[in-house]
Amino acid sequence: MNELNPTAGPIPPTIATPPRLSKPVPLGEDPADREPITGPLTAVEAVLRAPRRIMYQLRQPGSGQLILEMLLVSLVCSLIYGLVVGTFSMGPQLLAAPVKIAGGLLVSALICLPSLYIFTCLSGSEARLSEIFGLVAGLLMLMTILLIGFAPVAWLFSQSTESVVWMGVLHLVFWFIATMFGLKFLDAGFSHSKARSSAGLYTWVIIFILVAVQMTTALRPIVGKSDTFFPTQKKFFLSHWGDSLNAPARPAGQ
Amino acid sequence: MTAITNPEPRSVGMLLRGQPEVLGEWIEHWTAKRLLFCVAVIFAGAGLYGAAMGWWRAPQQGLIVAIKFPLIILLTTLGNALLNGMLAPLLGLNIGLRQSLLAILMSFTIASAILGSFSPLTAFVVWNAPPISDNGQFSARTYSFIQVMHVCIIAFAGTTANVRLVQLLKQLSGKAGVARRVLFAWLAGNLFLGSQLCWILRPFIGNPNLKVAFFRPDPLQGNFYETLFNAIRRVVGVD
Repeated sequence: MNELNPTAGPIPPTIATPPRLSKPVPLGEDPADREPITGPLTAVEAVLRAPRRIMYQLRQPGSGQLILEMLLVSLVCSLIYGLVVGTFSMGPQLLAAPVKIAGGLLVSALICLPSLYIFTCLSGSEARLSEIFGLVAGLLMLMTILLIGFAPVAWLFSQSTESVVWMGVLHLVFWFIATMFGLKFLDAGFSHSKARSSAGLYTWVIIFILVAVQMTTALRPIVGKSDTFFPTQKKFFLSHWGDSLNAPARPAGQ
Repeated sequence: MTAITNPEPRSVGMLLRGQPEVLGEWIEHWTAKRLLFCVAVIFAGAGLYGAAMGWWRAPQQGLIVAIKFPLIILLTTLGNALLNGMLAPLLGLNIGLRQSLLAILMSFTIASAILGSFSPLTAFVVWNAPPISDNGQFSARTYSFIQVMHVCIIAFAGTTANVRLVQLLKQLSGKAGVARRVLFAWLAGNLFLGSQLCWILRPFIGNPNLKVAFFRPDPLQGNFYETLFNAIRRVVGVD
């Protein structure tokens, strides 16, 4: 009956509690974070596999080169994806769609950049403007790389339908998925900036999505065809979507 | 317990047993011989099953589907290779483009092997099914039965292959959650592209009311999702 005696026996070992994961490991603590990014291809690999490398490099002096490379990759990838979008209508859209998509994305980011900086400062973040700019460049690069991944599927569908609405919805879905991954990168970068709250960033995310979606309407048509490069009538995107859904089915290019 | 020293592509059984160390080794140290083995299994397994699938409509249809079915598998794998390779690290599984491509190819190899093993059974069922008469008469019940049978067998093969794939992903990532996320993303992408490729390369079983053909006259006309999208628009009264 000794085993029933509560006073006897060794003290049970204490179970080690895992460390709280609320605070991210500081950038640069892991030697892998400090690996240099030597060119655009390395930047592409880093944003997919080791985004902390980019976040670390953005805090170092001379990060402008990396930012430029990321913007260059974004530009090239968005032009390629735009070309795929243009294959739906062919003709002048082969030129118009890449220009509109690449231009639209970059202008959306530029329009939203000041407000992101203000929101991050209000949140107590210590990130410099160049770091914020770099994170936005990283967001654009990741988004556009993912769009390239979607490009074969988009092309296949663009060859098998004449519905502008269908292709518009498909491209929006692809853009939305790519944006979510891009925003995840931005959020991860933001978490290292000693901000007290993420509310400002989340507010900005909504603003960015609205601006980008409105840009697709401001630069329409991107999927279909038109006689003019820019639209002649101003509309909000909800109104444009409603009109597109209610419009009778028409083949591409009309 | 025997140690796995040289998991060369000598048997499909190695893949079907799904021993993670074997599958992991295949992906880590890939050779052209192993790649050819996978492609050969896909062509043989899916091809044989395709032949049995099309045979009910006509022997010529069987030959056509024997070519088309493996093509769909390979085109789906290649078409989504880039996307799947990007999604894996973004979802927490740090593997390369080549590894993700091979992991998916291996799961399709397993599915094809299963389908190939069912092809004699399918052929037997088709042989016993009332054939289409010379004047095009057929039993709707028979046609439906054959459709359901194919759906069940393909679903079984696909599910088993993906169970094997998730085991491999779990081994590579060390986390069940990451493995599930990656599997779900890959499945969604492959299903989306694969279904459109099936649409373009239709017919497979072969509608008894239509002529035997490699493609329909309008292969690039429309898609399943668009049809569904338009139906929803009509339901909500937008159309």
